[in-house]
Amino acid sequence: MIPFDYRLAPDVDGAVAAATGWGGVAFLAGGTNLVDHMKLGVAAPEVLVDISRLPLDAVEELPDGGLRIGATVRNSDLAAHPAVRRDYPVLARALLSGASGQVRNLATTGGNLLQRTRCAYFQDLSTPCNKREPGTGCSAIGGYTRQHAILGASAHCVATHPSDMAVAMAALDAQVTVLGTSGRRVIPLVELHRLPGDEPHRDTVLSPSDLITAVELPPLPEGTRSLYRKVRDRASYAFALVSVAAVLRVEDGVVRDVRIALGGVAHKPWRARRAEDVLRGSPVDGSPADEEVFRRAAEAELAGAAPLAGNGFKVPLARNTVVSALRGLSREER
Amino acid sequence: MRVNVTVNGEPRQADDVWEGESLLFLLRERLGLPGSKNACEQGECGSCTVYLDNTPVCSCLVAAGQVQDREVRTVEGLADGDRLDPVQEAFVEAGAVQCGFCTPGLVVAAHDLLDRVPQPSDPEIREALAGNLCRCTGYEKILDAVRLAATRKAAPRGSGAQESGSR
Amino acid sequence: MSLTPAELTSAVSGGIGSSPQRPDGNLKVRGEFAYASDLWHEDMIWGATLRSPHPYARIVSIDLTEALQVPGVYAVLTHQDVPGQNRYGLEHKDQPVLAEEVVRYQGEPVALVGADHPETAQRAMKRIKVEYEVLTPVVDMETAADDTPLHPGGNLVRHVPVRRGDQHAEAEVVVTGRYEVGMQDQAFLGPESGLAVPDEEGGVDLYIATQWLHVDQAQVAAALGLPLEQVRLTLSGVGGAFGGREDLSMQVHACLLALHTGKPTKMVYNREESFYGHVHRHPAVLYYEHGADHTGRLVYVKARIYLDGGAYASSTGAVVANAATLGVGPYDVDNVTVDCWGVYTNNPPCGAMRGFGAVQAGFAYESQMDKLAEALGMDPVDLRIVNAMSEGSVMPTGQVIDSAAPVAQLLKLVKDKPMPPLSTVVDLRDMPGGVSNTTHGEGVVRGVGYAVGIKNICFSEGYDDYSTARVRLQVINGEPAALAHTAAAEVGQGLVTIMQQIVRTELGVERVTILPMDTSIGNGGSTSASRQTYVTGGAVKAACAAVREKLAKLAASRDLSAVDIAGTDLTGVDLAELLGDEVIDETVEWRHRATEPIDPETGQGNAHVQYGFAAHRAVVDVDVELGLVKVVELDCAQDVGKALNPQAVLGQIQGGSAQGLGLAVMEEIQTAGGKVRNPSFTDYLIPTVLDMPPMSIDVLELADPHAPYGVRGVGEPPTISSTPAIVAAIRAATGLALTRVPVRPEHITGT
Repeated sequence: MIPFDYRLAPDVDGAVAAATGWGGVAFLAGGTNLVDHMKLGVAAPEVLVDISRLPLDAVEELPDGGLRIGATVRNSDLAAHPAVRRDYPVLARALLSGASGQVRNLATTGGNLLQRTRCAYFQDLSTPCNKREPGTGCSAIGGYTRQHAILGASAHCVATHPSDMAVAMAALDAQVTVLGTSGRRVIPLVELHRLPGDEPHRDTVLSPSDLITAVELPPLPEGTRSLYRKVRDRASYAFALVSVAAVLRVEDGVVRDVRIALGGVAHKPWRARRAEDVLRGSPVDGSPADEEVFRRAAEAELAGAAPLAGNGFKVPLARNTVVSALRGLSREER
Repeated sequence: MRVNVTVNGEPRQADDVWEGESLLFLLRERLGLPGSKNACEQGECGSCTVYLDNTPVCSCLVAAGQVQDREVRTVEGLADGDRLDPVQEAFVEAGAVQCGFCTPGLVVAAHDLLDRVPQPSDPEIREALAGNLCRCTGYEKILDAVRLAATRKAAPRGSGAQESGSR
Repeated sequence: MSLTPAELTSAVSGGIGSSPQRPDGNLKVRGEFAYASDLWHEDMIWGATLRSPHPYARIVSIDLTEALQVPGVYAVLTHQDVPGQNRYGLEHKDQPVLAEEVVRYQGEPVALVGADHPETAQRAMKRIKVEYEVLTPVVDMETAADDTPLHPGGNLVRHVPVRRGDQHAEAEVVVTGRYEVGMQDQAFLGPESGLAVPDEEGGVDLYIATQWLHVDQAQVAAALGLPLEQVRLTLSGVGGAFGGREDLSMQVHACLLALHTGKPTKMVYNREESFYGHVHRHPAVLYYEHGADHTGRLVYVKARIYLDGGAYASSTGAVVANAATLGVGPYDVDNVTVDCWGVYTNNPPCGAMRGFGAVQAGFAYESQMDKLAEALGMDPVDLRIVNAMSEGSVMPTGQVIDSAAPVAQLLKLVKDKPMPPLSTVVDLRDMPGGVSNTTHGEGVVRGVGYAVGIKNICFSEGYDDYSTARVRLQVINGEPAALAHTAAAEVGQGLVTIMQQIVRTELGVERVTILPMDTSIGNGGSTSASRQTYVTGGAVKAACAAVREKLAKLAASRDLSAVDIAGTDLTGVDLAELLGDEVIDETVEWRHRATEPIDPETGQGNAHVQYGFAAHRAVVDVDVELGLVKVVELDCAQDVGKALNPQAVLGQIQGGSAQGLGLAVMEEIQTAGGKVRNPSFTDYLIPTVLDMPPMSIDVLELADPHAPYGVRGVGEPPTISSTPAIVAAIRAATGLALTRVPVRPEHITGT
């Protein structure tokens, strides 16, 4: 680990000020990803600004029925929050399917969004990696790619985003509040993370001194159902091979609203707009005939998939998981 | 830097702490408390689980500076003098301890579970312990131990609570 | 904290056949048990290892200049600083302590740093400049023998042929298959660690987590160029082993740094380094052909087995012999043609892991038995019972099984167990995919599978396998008290408890102290091959017998000769009165009956001491749509000869079965071009409590008349049959062939 300067942020504005003007700066909240990466040498900030004691740890129910989640709200607290459990089961499930209890007790909302990839080459300092060291090349391409992206990858990076929570939030049309040197701004969550393109070292659109202060969830209309499904190699405590967050509202046997996001398949939580387009307005009645619609929707999304040598299985697996999630939602008795 | 922290009820101070050290390193190498274990140091096994302000966390992922003025309780702080905590007692009796490297983390995780849910169902026990890896036992006797501890805690001492059966 | 581990004393009743508490249990639950990584010494420094990033490369140059300039660095060492022989190994001395001209695997130690803080050592390591000429690695075990030679003498470590009966036998029904076993890791939780303390005379004391103190001592002394008595080892707390601590890791390194700097030197691997720092289970490719008559009786079995030994031999030779001699499983087969090859490659070195060659063969021959049953239209358990070996059966090596071999009975026991009820989707944690809400029951298919396995117990092929035990009896505070001392490594399995139980049974005392294990006493042999209860237990029993003989003489001298101390139990004897101030102290070397080398052309010979058997039934639910497997129940029946500690026996069966489950559905070290891609517990997955199902276990106690108390080794057999039973169940649920373990979601969903 490289020596660094540790600063306890006095307040929210002070945190941004403390982080401004440094090349290598990082905000430290739960530490579950950053402390690990600092030990590995993957992250080597000059300045660490500890924001874990900032008053950003509240979950507020908004007058319009939505929810504002402070950036330092712990994953475990958020998953247990009555409003989340009641109104956003997709989010509660996604949170609970991530990591372990001891890690969720540390991990924060903002930190979870900014988790870095679990690509083995990214973590291995002895191999080239464009995300870790821009311009050195991508070792995953032509290497071991079982965990890697099938959608939206580039010739420079095929890493996937590891978060479960962010996938649920992508399906919920969450809005991220960011405080930067030029003030406060709101970014739709689906626009927070980037595709790798030719700058894979940039995971998000944020600059180093931008501080996420909150995530807002818009309200879901009455009758909306949601769920999260995750396929992984072990029953707990493993990253997703493929995951699906789905939000569905069916009225009078017709899909009125549907939002689907995929995890484990791309450099960012992958909002499945094409699948949504197929589904919106389609008849769905909980009968076996729905399967064909769900399948067509999933296949429409995955038509653009470009699997690598080691992860072709993710395409049918993602299709099956989307179908399974939609089937679950359409049949759920509430 | 200097870190002041309450550990197992005692105010403790450590000097010359390097900013990159973890709470686990602080406990093990600076405060003489090696009970919390260093099996992965990446938050992947639960062996270093301690209470931080009454919440179980992986101490390997907490930067030492972050515990300033906070309260830590480790496996060394669970027994009442010579008297083991019922969870500790049950782990020994049920045969839940083999090599024992996972034991401190599991004891803290089980202790936390029984504080929150005094009579947990089997699925609740499994869910609560899913962040603690054990390589020796296959977990069966760990489940026995948690069931036994729950029974013991429910029944006052000396009431003759029997060990729950092992399948 | 003292460097010397605590003496473990319990004063309770509890002889053999009961389950007294572990004497180290209280220390372990309190967090006060001193593992090797917990050791601390005044003025100690920290050692770190610079490892090769390449699987195969020539070292062009090493420049230490900048590393030596880092403040806080005491020493930076290379192979030039190894004063003795820079070669070690369990069977062949082929592995350098520190690499010389060539590195043969990713992670091979190249240089050492000793510094005042682990971080200082890391910083200095980054300043060591090693120039490599990267070479093309050899990574295919099937062609390695004919590829670039990685060692003098080529890449074949050992070939074991086994020939029995008619080599050209023909059969009515023939099934063939090719099977693969991935590279499994022991994944013990306590990382490799040790502390070396130099003495004033140029010698060293090493406190270390290992499986075998004396074989470490011999290798360390040779590398240091010191006589044995100047290299003293003491066993520190060991956080699991499972074979992974039979080879050296940092033993020599820590001693080198300590002797070079004159300072106590501690080394602790982190998890990533642990994956590079110990051998793994050999990956295997296995070709099988089974021929049977129409009733299902096996006519012949032919097999070609390839085991990837990686860069250095370790125990590959013995693993090859096991896979070959146990290669047809616990079945009567008159005509056998088996060839097994172990080869060098530039993959990570492989060696001992629980099951040791029998695991790889077991997956293949049990898969074949299911395939044969299907071809015959027979029930798979019935087919196995038709062919089950029994006492008096002849192994493919010609060895006659001369104690219980209840293979059919074990199979019947697991088959007759009640079936778990079908899940009614009450709790998603019970469904494939667990809490992630993956499955609601649609597309979930149940399957049931069976398997049985065979494992040799103790060391084989003429190895002089023995253990040394010392037992002392005296009166302390008016009560008789015993003390037992061996060098046999307690790695978590509970040997310390067993030793106390044996002493209590043999000497009729309650208070028994176990001394720390060290090299001040003779060799205890390895904690492997399921052998310690058998061999060190046998040695402790024999030492107790020697103590009783002395007691008998004492009784005679005191005119108490009517008491037959040597022959009966001692319950009626007042030991305190008899002993008075006398101290009886006896040390005994104890051997099991000898084995023979096998014929290098035919594989014939009485190679093994004892055989252990276990059978499993696995019940699985498979979500065929999402490729998820939930093992619903994993039941086992095993013959243990005599359960000296029934609770510990169950613990071994449960733990061994869990490791078999891991190999079946998740565990594999992934390599690409010789490089490990998942050296962490996030990427190398072992079962959690949510993956491991409840087990119903039947323990048979059919005493082996040749073994102390009739014991039969327990630790390994359950690891063998667990894996194929689970895969058979997944096959039954899905209809897929599944010829490779671990089975992953994509093997079920397809690509």
